[in-house]
Amino acid sequence: MSLSSNLKAIENKIKDLGGFIETVSDNTVIVEITKDNLKEFAKWLYENNAFLKTCAGVDEREINSRFTLYHIFGLDEMGIDVVVKVSGSDKDYTPTISDIVPAAEWCELEARDMVGIRISGHEDKPKFILPQDWPENVYPLRKDFSYDYRPQSEFSKFDEELPKEVGLPIGPYHPILHEPEYFELYVEGEKVVDVFYRGFHVHRGIEKLAESPRFTYKTIPFLAERICGICGFVHSSCYVLTVEKAAKIEVPERAQFIRSIVLEIERIHSHLLWLGIAAHILGYDAGFMQLWRIREPVMVLAELLTGSRKTYGINIVGGVRRDIDESKKRKALEILRNVRDEFKKVVDVLVSVPEIVKRASGTGVLPKEDARKLSVVGPVARGSGLERDVRKNYPYFAYRYTSFKVPVYSEGDNLARTLVRIDEVFESISIVEQLLDALPKGPIAVESYEIPPFRKAVGAVEAPRGEDVHFIITGLGRPYRWRVRAPTYQNLPALKVMLRGAPLADAFLTIASIDPCFSCTDRAIVIHDIKSGSRKFVNLFYGRRYAGR
Amino acid sequence: MQVDKIAKLTKIVTIGLKTGRVTIKYPFGAPLVTESFRGAISIDNTKCWGCGACVLICPPNALSMKFEKDNIIIEYFKGRCIFCGMCADVCPANAISVTKEFELASTDLEDLKEYVIHRTSKCSICGKPIGPTSELRSVIKSQPVSEEYINLCSDCRKKLFAKAISIRFGAST
Repeated sequence: MSLSSNLKAIENKIKDLGGFIETVSDNTVIVEITKDNLKEFAKWLYENNAFLKTCAGVDEREINSRFTLYHIFGLDEMGIDVVVKVSGSDKDYTPTISDIVPAAEWCELEARDMVGIRISGHEDKPKFILPQDWPENVYPLRKDFSYDYRPQSEFSKFDEELPKEVGLPIGPYHPILHEPEYFELYVEGEKVVDVFYRGFHVHRGIEKLAESPRFTYKTIPFLAERICGICGFVHSSCYVLTVEKAAKIEVPERAQFIRSIVLEIERIHSHLLWLGIAAHILGYDAGFMQLWRIREPVMVLAELLTGSRKTYGINIVGGVRRDIDESKKRKALEILRNVRDEFKKVVDVLVSVPEIVKRASGTGVLPKEDARKLSVVGPVARGSGLERDVRKNYPYFAYRYTSFKVPVYSEGDNLARTLVRIDEVFESISIVEQLLDALPKGPIAVESYEIPPFRKAVGAVEAPRGEDVHFIITGLGRPYRWRVRAPTYQNLPALKVMLRGAPLADAFLTIASIDPCFSCTDRAIVIHDIKSGSRKFVNLFYGRRYAGR
Repeated sequence: MQVDKIAKLTKIVTIGLKTGRVTIKYPFGAPLVTESFRGAISIDNTKCWGCGACVLICPPNALSMKFEKDNIIIEYFKGRCIFCGMCADVCPANAISVTKEFELASTDLEDLKEYVIHRTSKCSICGKPIGPTSELRSVIKSQPVSEEYINLCSDCRKKLFAKAISIRFGAST
């Protein structure tokens, strides 16, 4: 089907339901619909193979004195983003769509906590993002909330949170990943029967900070880069991509190529890091050492091309700040050749080590249907048989000029996710080589640009961990609303499916297997009903801890 | 078959032996950074005008500007710096250069701060501060006849201009 016929189908459906199409641009369709028909439209989209990307609550009182909830769906097969807009006053209840699209639960709760949009179906759920001692009726992402306001803490409220029974706590730091997390695994003997996750320990309010007068369009890429320590360039790329889409800025081709090259180098280093850590978790330290040795030249290469080992800082709206000259290009190709040879040798050994293969195969299984329901992204989706890759589905930057395979494995276990990442390293090396060979001539940034206010855009970039989504409503001098959805946000709920019923000893590898990035996600709370052995998505949030209330 | 498998595992030993030691004796030996590395910045006091473009662009607010009675002070605090080099990109006087310095640890906070102090020029009529003297000097260099009115504040300049116009149209001096 062509784009226009898809649009026709969407238009017909939305007209049937009494809504209308607000704007159509590039590959984004923004539709507005009434609250009563939201569920039906969401169901229709979901049945037409749309994945829920995220939703964003926005305080639009300054524009049209309403509160708006944007549900962002992606029709992967057609490469269209459908943004469903529902608005109302702060007294109105918006129906939840999480009974139809389970992946919507987290972001709906986030909109409830941060913006104060009332969502029917979520009234009695505990605080999700905000700490338990946060005062009632104070919503940080509303425009009348000053970004430097610090409410008083009431420690007594934390006592209510304490569990009635004691499970096995993992956290506040993962023993190997060194990231803030908190899991409680409820076990019967050696078997995990239930999982509790409390996240958002390091919620930094970056979205709010970007709306403050401290930041402008020019400086936010540097803030976005600091959302994640491993895939920071993804966030700054996604931010500039979204702003450029909203303002319709034509970015020079050379800049697009350089961005893609650096993104792929970041993917290589991230996957090598993860593979090393996976080997370390399984007690194969020789592999860990060798993989990290191979990773070092990749870091040096990143520094050579951008000026920094991490947080490259070369993205600006309208282009990049560092060029790649001939000598750098030669050096890069040489380093990549070595990395490929060395990686091949080590990986050959790695996938034949019995302690790795036996412990990774058959553990942490995520079936395809659950992966679909939770709209998981990245290697987790591809390890469960879903062929989802933003680079293929929604081509951005210079990916349309390259040819590469998207590795897909259908087993859904830890080994499948490992193999996906191993294959991707080879693919990424080949992509960088192709791009370096075809690097076009020309400027690397536009001279000047204008960003008109109150334009909306959705941008997605494939991070090493999956699809990273940014949603922007432009404002004056800085975004009016900037919504960031890190890939781990989408993948964390899948852990519950992977962990339940599995032996405790596999839990650490399984948690690590989604390559979680808690700091960039930081939003959350999840459990599952202990009694339901089936994989039904009922009572997603009422786990053991809240069962007694 | 079994022998093959075991033989494959032992390859890691060959890889390790062939590679040898890769850790280096830091801080001795060759420099760790490549030619394009961005480190701390250095500000050339003699070139700086004190215009404050770097202060406006600095994402982490590592550069700040203070206004005192007779001086305008630009402070560079390395503790906040993210080494992005945006300030060097925007500096109109090319006073800021990016160095390769990254070993900045110190026990004294003052070691991490650098100051550029500019004298403030004052309006020759009302005495209000106008801006850094060096900035005014650089304006004179690029703009002819500007020395006629550069030592006046914007209010006094407007008044003089209005007076000149009114005289032209016949008002009494």
